[in-house]
Amino acid sequence: MNPYYFASIALILIGLYAILAKRSVLKMLVGLSIMETGVNLLLISVGYVSGRSAPILSEGITPDRAVDPIPQALVLTAIVIGVATTAMALSVVINLYDRYKTLNVEEIRRLRG
Amino acid sequence: MSQYASLLIALPLFGAFFIPILKRISKSAVMPFLVLVTLIQTGIAAWVFSEVYITGKPIIIMAGGFRPPVGINLYIGHFATLFVLVIAVTSLLMTIFSFKAVSVEPKDNYAMLFLLLMLGATGMISTGDIFNLFVFMEITAISAYALTAYNKTGEASEAALKYIVLGGIGSSFFLVGVALIYGSLGTLNMAHIAQLAHLISPTVAKAGLALLIFGLAVEAEQFPLNAWAPDAYQEAPHPVTAMFSSFVVKASLYAMSRVIYILSAVEGWSSILRLLIILGTLTVILGEMSALRQSNVKRMFAYSSIAQVGLIAVGLALGTKSGVSASVFHMFNHAIVKLLMFLAVGYVALELGGTEINKFEGLGKRMPVSAFAITVGAISIIGIPLFNVFWSKMQLILAALNAQYTWIVALILGASLVEATYYIRLIHTIWFKGEGEKVKESSMLALVMLLLVALIIVIGIYPEPFWNVMQKAGSDIFNVAQYIKNVPLMEVNP
Amino acid sequence: MVGEVVKRVLAIVFILIIGFWMAKALDQVPFGQDRMLVGKYYLEHVEEETGAVNAVTAVVVNYRGFDTLGEVTVLFITSTGVAALLWRKKRKRTAKTEGSVVLTTGARLLLPFIMLFGAYIFIHGHLTPGGGFPGGATIATAFLFLYLAFTVYEIDHKILEPLEGLTGVGYVIVGLTGLAIGGYFLFDWIWQTWGIGKENIGRLLSAGFIPIIYTLIGIKVGTELTGIVDNMIKEPEEGGQ
Repeated sequence: MNPYYFASIALILIGLYAILAKRSVLKMLVGLSIMETGVNLLLISVGYVSGRSAPILSEGITPDRAVDPIPQALVLTAIVIGVATTAMALSVVINLYDRYKTLNVEEIRRLRG
Repeated sequence: MSQYASLLIALPLFGAFFIPILKRISKSAVMPFLVLVTLIQTGIAAWVFSEVYITGKPIIIMAGGFRPPVGINLYIGHFATLFVLVIAVTSLLMTIFSFKAVSVEPKDNYAMLFLLLMLGATGMISTGDIFNLFVFMEITAISAYALTAYNKTGEASEAALKYIVLGGIGSSFFLVGVALIYGSLGTLNMAHIAQLAHLISPTVAKAGLALLIFGLAVEAEQFPLNAWAPDAYQEAPHPVTAMFSSFVVKASLYAMSRVIYILSAVEGWSSILRLLIILGTLTVILGEMSALRQSNVKRMFAYSSIAQVGLIAVGLALGTKSGVSASVFHMFNHAIVKLLMFLAVGYVALELGGTEINKFEGLGKRMPVSAFAITVGAISIIGIPLFNVFWSKMQLILAALNAQYTWIVALILGASLVEATYYIRLIHTIWFKGEGEKVKESSMLALVMLLLVALIIVIGIYPEPFWNVMQKAGSDIFNVAQYIKNVPLMEVNP
Repeated sequence: MVGEVVKRVLAIVFILIIGFWMAKALDQVPFGQDRMLVGKYYLEHVEEETGAVNAVTAVVVNYRGFDTLGEVTVLFITSTGVAALLWRKKRKRTAKTEGSVVLTTGARLLLPFIMLFGAYIFIHGHLTPGGGFPGGATIATAFLFLYLAFTVYEIDHKILEPLEGLTGVGYVIVGLTGLAIGGYFLFDWIWQTWGIGKENIGRLLSAGFIPIIYTLIGIKVGTELTGIVDNMIKEPEEGGQ
């Protein structure tokens, strides 16, 4: 199990644990962010070819000396989508805090009735 | 000429991006503009529908002019064109409802989010590429998150937060599935994957397929990832709830079925299907049991919707042609019925100030058209003959018998029995309890409700032409060999 | 108390099972092996079909341009959604501490350079790594800098929002022009029909509509992220709701 796969799985699991086990809403969101980072790392690692370099075809990089360009394009999109989700989640948290004055999930559930 | 069908995607995008500019010119022009855009979208969808069904060939849109798998293609086959039409018509009707139903500012942002929700669902069912599916899924999801929290109350925010967290987990899992499948095959095009599916090693295939299904199950409201749904349905603005129930969840179910049938050549496929049947069954059982205990009518409808969606998932997971066609028919019928019911309930909530069951006492005398609409919707969901759902539930039972899953027949009948209990209780409250003054109902909305009622009864009495369409749509999903043949794949072998 | 521990143990067990399955599946996808199928096609044909030397950019804008359109839409939804959720009748900035001298002077000095750098990133997207999104984010950082340094700085939404909409409309119109000229939505008509810049591969004036789209995206992302920052920083005025 090489380090990149191991790291990405570890990040995904740590993020998932934070979402499931933490009680503060902000910590859950941090966990979500970590999980998405892990997934992005996994996507890039899948496209790597040993001994090759970035897929920019100039200065001596021919097509058979370049890494797969597709996962990099996918991760570009996935990062933006992750940012979007985080921004949306944070505005919801701002509204939540405005109404309930607490960031604790259990408290909120209790106050909601 | 057929590439002009890409206007189905370009038009709502243009509309949504244009609204900030329109807002500077005239603030009150935004909502009528929304009606205009959805109207044009309905027109284009109807044209595409007639093209595909008359010629029998799907429309393949090649974005960028590159042939798949080099470029991204949209596959507008029988199923996609049918549901694009459903989405367009539902959105059109809901824009009309939004005039009355949405009073929380800022309305121009609501209009933009509305158009993008419609766009996301349209894209999800038209796409032919799994990463494109992910992008459109996220468009739909993020619009849904914003629309759920739109009313800005504490409850709405909490519902939205639950949705966001579960949705985020789901999309991460989906991406891991994409990584596994791309890592094994090197392509992202659905038809290409279907062609090469037998090359994936069994472990990767099972894990990848399971992760993809888990990722889609959040939006498709399957157990155990549907905890967000009852709250979100309850707290979202009323037109938005109707849209969630009629097409957002159906788009994800379609995506799930497409992904399942594309990978049908892998080993261990049937065990994943069995897992999905179990999850669907649990969804139905828990949905019906929870609906029974609700005193808030909108929430009760939400649980009932979840249960029906579980039935659709079970039908899709049977793995047979009749199962898929029956599910498609049920998707169509359920979309119409739930659209009607959430429209009526929302309208009642606006006029009478809430959706608790005690507000519904004497509704028959106070708002007769809405009460009539709710009654027709309730009767049809139970599955009474002469109404549309009877035929789709019957087809589901037949498909289950064909696939030798007799306990699913018991499940469908049992669920219908439970539905009868709580719906008849509601109907009793509406017509036989309480008194009240008559409230003036908007003639526009009354017209819409009566049109939907008429459609329900027409399908109930003449199901044949609709069933033919559904079967063609079903074979679009089920017949993977034909799907591969229809897509003009280019040779990319190095 | 016991319920807490049980919940955590269950979560850990569940997570370990998922991790185990993912690891098992990943063993079948060996690291560092050349498994490119469509990727190889892209690398071999990118210069003649799109004119860009940066293969990732060509994939993002040209081959898989539909995804990028979706991604731009996602950011637009976020900007709109944040504005909708945080909307109050009257809002203003409530920070009371002005930034230190270093911060305020530095912000004023660095602002043009940061914006220049951001513009450089997205204009050269087809030649160097980067493109519209990092470029736009850099530009938004310049504005964030100003927000942090000065307590009264704010951006006029009346200019920001139509600019967002305009660049988005621009992107859709580029796609529709492709439909009109070349017959396909998002067809690169500049490179493939008009053939402008075919002798310039590897230099600035090449790569068809990639610089145009990336400029539009860069401006769009910059204004959107600035709008999000502005919405989050402001608070409702006392008494106003």
